[in-house]
Amino acid sequence: MTKVEFLLELDEILGLRAGTIRGSEKLDDLENWDSAALIGFVAMAEANSGVSISPHQIVNCSTVTDLLRLAQVEGSSS
Amino acid sequence: MTGSQLKLINPIGNCDSTPGNNVLQSNVLKTPRFPAAAADILRQRHSLRNELLKQTHLIQTRIAILGGSTTIEVKNTLELFLLAQGIQPTFYESGYNRYCEDALFENPDLWNFRPDIVFIHTTWHNVSKFPELMETEVEVEAHVSREVTRFESMWEKLHAGLGTLIIQNNFDLPRLRPLGNLEASESFGRVNFLLRLNAEFANYARTHSRFLINDILYLSAQVGLAAWFDHGYWYNFHMALSPTATVALARNVAAIVKSVYGKSKKCLVLDLDNTLWGGVIGDDGVSNLVLGRDHPIGEAFLNFQQYVKDLQRRGVILAVCSKNDAENAKEGFSHPDSVLKLKDFSAFKANWDPKPENIRKVAEELNIGLDALVFVDDNPVERALVEEHLPEVAVPDMGMDVSCFAERLEYEGYFEVDKVVQDDVNRPAYYSSNAQRGAYQTAFCNYGEFLASLEMTADIGPFCPVYLERITHLINKTNQFNLTTRRYTSAEVEAVTRDSAFITLYGRLADKFGDNGLVSVVIGQVYDQMVELDLWLMSCRVLKREMELAMFDALVERCQALGIRKITGVYVPSKKNSMVAEHYAILGFSRVDGTSGGREVWQYDVPQAYSTGARYIRRTVEALPAAAKA
Repeated sequence: MTKVEFLLELDEILGLRAGTIRGSEKLDDLENWDSAALIGFVAMAEANSGVSISPHQIVNCSTVTDLLRLAQVEGSSS
Repeated sequence: MTGSQLKLINPIGNCDSTPGNNVLQSNVLKTPRFPAAAADILRQRHSLRNELLKQTHLIQTRIAILGGSTTIEVKNTLELFLLAQGIQPTFYESGYNRYCEDALFENPDLWNFRPDIVFIHTTWHNVSKFPELMETEVEVEAHVSREVTRFESMWEKLHAGLGTLIIQNNFDLPRLRPLGNLEASESFGRVNFLLRLNAEFANYARTHSRFLINDILYLSAQVGLAAWFDHGYWYNFHMALSPTATVALARNVAAIVKSVYGKSKKCLVLDLDNTLWGGVIGDDGVSNLVLGRDHPIGEAFLNFQQYVKDLQRRGVILAVCSKNDAENAKEGFSHPDSVLKLKDFSAFKANWDPKPENIRKVAEELNIGLDALVFVDDNPVERALVEEHLPEVAVPDMGMDVSCFAERLEYEGYFEVDKVVQDDVNRPAYYSSNAQRGAYQTAFCNYGEFLASLEMTADIGPFCPVYLERITHLINKTNQFNLTTRRYTSAEVEAVTRDSAFITLYGRLADKFGDNGLVSVVIGQVYDQMVELDLWLMSCRVLKREMELAMFDALVERCQALGIRKITGVYVPSKKNSMVAEHYAILGFSRVDGTSGGREVWQYDVPQAYSTGARYIRRTVEALPAAAKA
């Protein structure tokens, strides 16, 4: 999964217009980042990258970039 | 396909598509026209929601979720499942773990919200106090009593203050068992304690109307406790359910709500070959069908038949839709091990016509909507054809393994009921009698002669306690012959029964083929010398029998007795009630000009001398002794 694809899916999960999330946002600043979005993100990572993410790992994320790394999105580790 | 070939492709194994097995990655649990995998539901919620909101004629409902844990993910998922059932909810959510306070202290926000349904989403985490180790039976009983009283106080407050339907979770079980197996057997064991609470909750549900249990004890067992509860989600977000469990719960609650609004399915249409028995009756003959306990696959078919039979016994109408010669198809039920018999089916279509055509005929014959049908067929091509041509019909993916057929059918919750009432249990018999009436009718050239020969009798009278449950049930599930599609809660039905400002009528119809039960309801509000009809409905199983005329006769007589001079009838068009668009015109009402928004108002001047309209129905004075109705 590419970063662009990931961000588009994150837009969908958060109910935002495609292209809204750019990658550097803080999760606390995202109005719709709630428990529903969180389980949507876990499902997305599992379906697209085959990555199983635990809730403890998400708690340690503060930005969208952290989510990208957690979901092992291509090019996100650099 | 022969029975021997069937053995090769139909291994009996685990139903790995059931929700307990990695539902997030499963794509076989799909509901037609609804997302397949749970993962897709969670990921694509917004676009799915937008898509589902494009439906028209959605039923509006107001649901308050009172949660003992985080509920936003429950709310969002439940919304999708309800929209997929044609129900558009507006939600209220209590604050985190404020379920009890909101109810007991009458939170004004909740009271002003005026919910139709309160869903109390609690789990074992919300038990206020578990018994201590070694506490005596008397002490444990006191704990049970205290806990039940706490919940009952809440339920009573909600019922009294809001008159709302309550859906209450029973208790799931903790994943950890410090006492090991003794948790189940010792009275102070947690498992034992929770099961006692569940028994008390169930007892309350049996003895109180407007109170339904959402059985999370079963759901958690179905999903598996390890997949049901995730410590990480609980510690970090106070989510009492894992994402997998959230989807299972939402699906289950939506099935309950659907049943309350009369949107459960009524009829199961079944293919025959390799669906109800192994093999092809036309090729293999009845003696070579794979059916019975002497063969593993035969036993699986037998058990599926038993499940279908159980559905039929509780009121699901059965029909056959099979590509076969009719005589061959019928012969299959003469198999000595067949649990299902020919008489169990209220409609039987076995021919070589396309299945969508036959299914449409089944609906017409039974006088029910296509959306009341579920079609089960082992052949994916036939299923796809029906899905394409009849999108209203539910078509579950049955897979290839007959041992999973029943579970796949059940998982969708198509036939969920909020109560089992005698009229529903009798329903298949009514429809079978109707088929007999249809055959009998062909012997007459004149329809009037046919009606006269039926020797129909009607019991029509004001609402009485013994019928209130059936009346409420009928009000909330009748869609076609329904002038306003106005729904009433049990409390509202009870209220109009007691209120002298309302005229209420129920109608029962019987004939030489049997009792059709309570089939028609009228409610009108009296203003001075006028009555405005808020509700007029009739079960489609007695269409074209002049029952509506008999009801009108009774209504006019009541108006005359009360000195009412004018009857106002309202027709609110819906997606399904076009059959009654001319109802008031036929009865001699005049349309009032200036109505708008599709709502039509009709008026009828009550004459001093009235000639009854129903020519073929004899009205009995009292079919049931007054004492029995009290």
